Amino acid sequence: MAEAIVSKQNENTSQRSLQIVVFKLGQEEYGLRIDQIKEVVITPTITRMPQTPSYVKGVANIRGNVIAIFDLEDRFNLQRNEAQLSGKKYTLVVESEDFKMGLLVNEVPNTISVNASDLDESVGIIADANAEVNYIKGIIKTGTRLIILIDIFKVVDQELTTNLKKATAA
Amino acid sequence: MNNKEEEYKEIFLAEAMENFEEINRLLTVLEKSKNDKNTVHALFRITHTLKGNAAGMGYTGIAEMAHVLEDLFGEVREGKIVLDESLYAPLFKATDVLGALVNSVRDGKEVKYKGIKTKLEVLLKRAHENAADKSEQEPTKVAISNDNPFAPDAIGVGAQPFVEEEAESPDESDTKISFSDLVQVPVRKLDNLLNLVGELIIEKDRILASKVNSGRGSNEYARLSRISSDLQYSVMDVRLVQVGFLFNKFHRVVRDAATLEKKNVVLKLEGTETEIDRNVLQVISDSLIHIVRNAVGHGVESPEERKAAGKPVEGTVWLTAKGETESVIIEIKDDGKGLNYDRIKAKAIAKGLATAEDLERMTQDELSLLIFEPGFSTMDQVTAIAGRGVGMDVVRKTLDSIGGEIKVSSEAGVGTTIQLTLPSSMAVKSCLLFELKEEVYAIPLAYTESVISLYRSSIHKAGGGLVASHLGKNIAIVFLKDVFDYDPIMVGQSNNALQKAYDSVHPEEKLDIVVVTFNNRTVGFVVDKLLQQKEIVEKPLMKPVDKIKFIGGFTILGSGNVCLVLNVPFILHFIFSLSSQGRSSKNFSLN
Repeated sequence: MAEAIVSKQNENTSQRSLQIVVFKLGQEEYGLRIDQIKEVVITPTITRMPQTPSYVKGVANIRGNVIAIFDLEDRFNLQRNEAQLSGKKYTLVVESEDFKMGLLVNEVPNTISVNASDLDESVGIIADANAEVNYIKGIIKTGTRLIILIDIFKVVDQELTTNLKKATAA
Repeated sequence: MNNKEEEYKEIFLAEAMENFEEINRLLTVLEKSKNDKNTVHALFRITHTLKGNAAGMGYTGIAEMAHVLEDLFGEVREGKIVLDESLYAPLFKATDVLGALVNSVRDGKEVKYKGIKTKLEVLLKRAHENAADKSEQEPTKVAISNDNPFAPDAIGVGAQPFVEEEAESPDESDTKISFSDLVQVPVRKLDNLLNLVGELIIEKDRILASKVNSGRGSNEYARLSRISSDLQYSVMDVRLVQVGFLFNKFHRVVRDAATLEKKNVVLKLEGTETEIDRNVLQVISDSLIHIVRNAVGHGVESPEERKAAGKPVEGTVWLTAKGETESVIIEIKDDGKGLNYDRIKAKAIAKGLATAEDLERMTQDELSLLIFEPGFSTMDQVTAIAGRGVGMDVVRKTLDSIGGEIKVSSEAGVGTTIQLTLPSSMAVKSCLLFELKEEVYAIPLAYTESVISLYRSSIHKAGGGLVASHLGKNIAIVFLKDVFDYDPIMVGQSNNALQKAYDSVHPEEKLDIVVVTFNNRTVGFVVDKLLQQKEIVEKPLMKPVDKIKFIGGFTILGSGNVCLVLNVPFILHFIFSLSSQGRSSKNFSLN
């Protein structure tokens, strides 16, 4: 009886679909869980902040909220082509309980629905090789596309805060 | 002044009514769950507070009544009186009279309270006698039950006439439910309100900025302007409280500290009606405790020393507040021995805070400020309340965080005065806007001393920094650009990081300089372009950029863009920690 329920649950999870917002960084496609994303806006004027790492582009006023704007291409040291350098038109506003921030993207991100079974979470090797906080949650494969699912708050959380502390402690 | 007194009275009445209702409530609770320790404690505390408040306001009737009740609950707490049925009647009666007394403050009616008061006093006396009897006869539990039933009886008979005599007057007020004219609002709601007003102001500025060119409907905009700024000041006014609320708590602080140190110290309060933003008061309360304790611990001498010095045995600590246009000054003064500058110098050298030559050059004021450095304590012995060497630097940090300033003046044998200059409101600041690398920044006017314009050629390199003389004064000059671009990793390679921008500027170029001063440190910041002066509503930055200490907050400009507000205390601290790091800058004196 109990076993039957468990197996049914398993079936459910494998059937469940995930909503992923996909955006391009460099040549790769990255994804975020849709519930971490609040909105997509046209990038407003960004005010630079002194003494911040280069991937912190500054702060901007988005609907009365002033939030920090990040450039993940810079953060991940991804190469960009000429067209991308010209300007990042859109800002993806992500939100958690503690943080609210904007990510710069070149194109309007699209939302896709993938099966939970398409998400491969056993990608520890990558994180180890990078020797950084494990912000990659998994790889999604749908058809020919390969999407890197990241946990944006892990990207920013520890590393940035220590970085900023270092900069201001001097 | 009259207004102030009215306001005091209002507040007192609101509190007293609340206390009265609470006493009523607790009494009924107590009647149901007999001898509940916590309830008795609460009753004791409330009557004590009420007594203190009433005495402070000069309402002797309320104070006396509350005093008797306090004593009674005190005895109950100690277990000397056991509350039973016969005792509740007089207690409720007393509470009603208390309520009537509080009401009489409002309507000026005369209330007789002596009768019930005497009755309670008799009860108390009886309880004392009982306790004495008990301990004489047989100190067992049985004795209590023997003694008790007859004790209230006897008193009941004795006090009966009093009760009857005053039965009429308080009774009519019993039946009415009274409402206070004051509303209690959580600070959180006020903060929210102020935030909204802040946004309104920003929005108003935006509309005005966009319409100023069209030139139409200027009347409407003038009205909008006026209403929104009235609204803003009203909301700010709501948040103001009198420093007396904080000051009055210090009687206890001084008493406790003095007892611990075995000193005689009295506290004198002045200017308690000065008004200040509630949040500012909250932020500095701990700091004030530190300073006052220090004044008692380090400042005031022991009674023997005082006698020997020909001073009154009793030391005095003054807490004074006075309001100025944009700030409130709080002074903590003692009549103790004053600061020992030789000791401060010795300690500063021992702790490596400064060198002997530095100290020679320092004025007394600057020396005094050394006591706010981390880990500094001139007291060789650590006492219970002061001398741990933590605290004073925390005081400094706290004041920095709200843009307050500290000044210390001291005279040997006469006493020490610590002066805190605090912003009267944390919400709205007058700021000077300027441009730097195409971004607009704001400097709070509280820190700016003057704005000057100099040719590059009149600025000179001195050690690791830059210096210029203006109006006969030598000022350290710093290109703000250099500070913001400062890279800690590069320090090893060049120690003149603060001269980089200077080298790239043409000698004939005219430079805009904002002279800022904070805690006796004066620096001229070179900026790209000065803009205007403006009233802004500063808001704190959100995570994770709130870690960037150079920026204290932000505001939104008429254009909708973000304007960063400089954290001047931190920037100065940063610059001076740089110049004390680099040995080459040793010869570079400020002012």
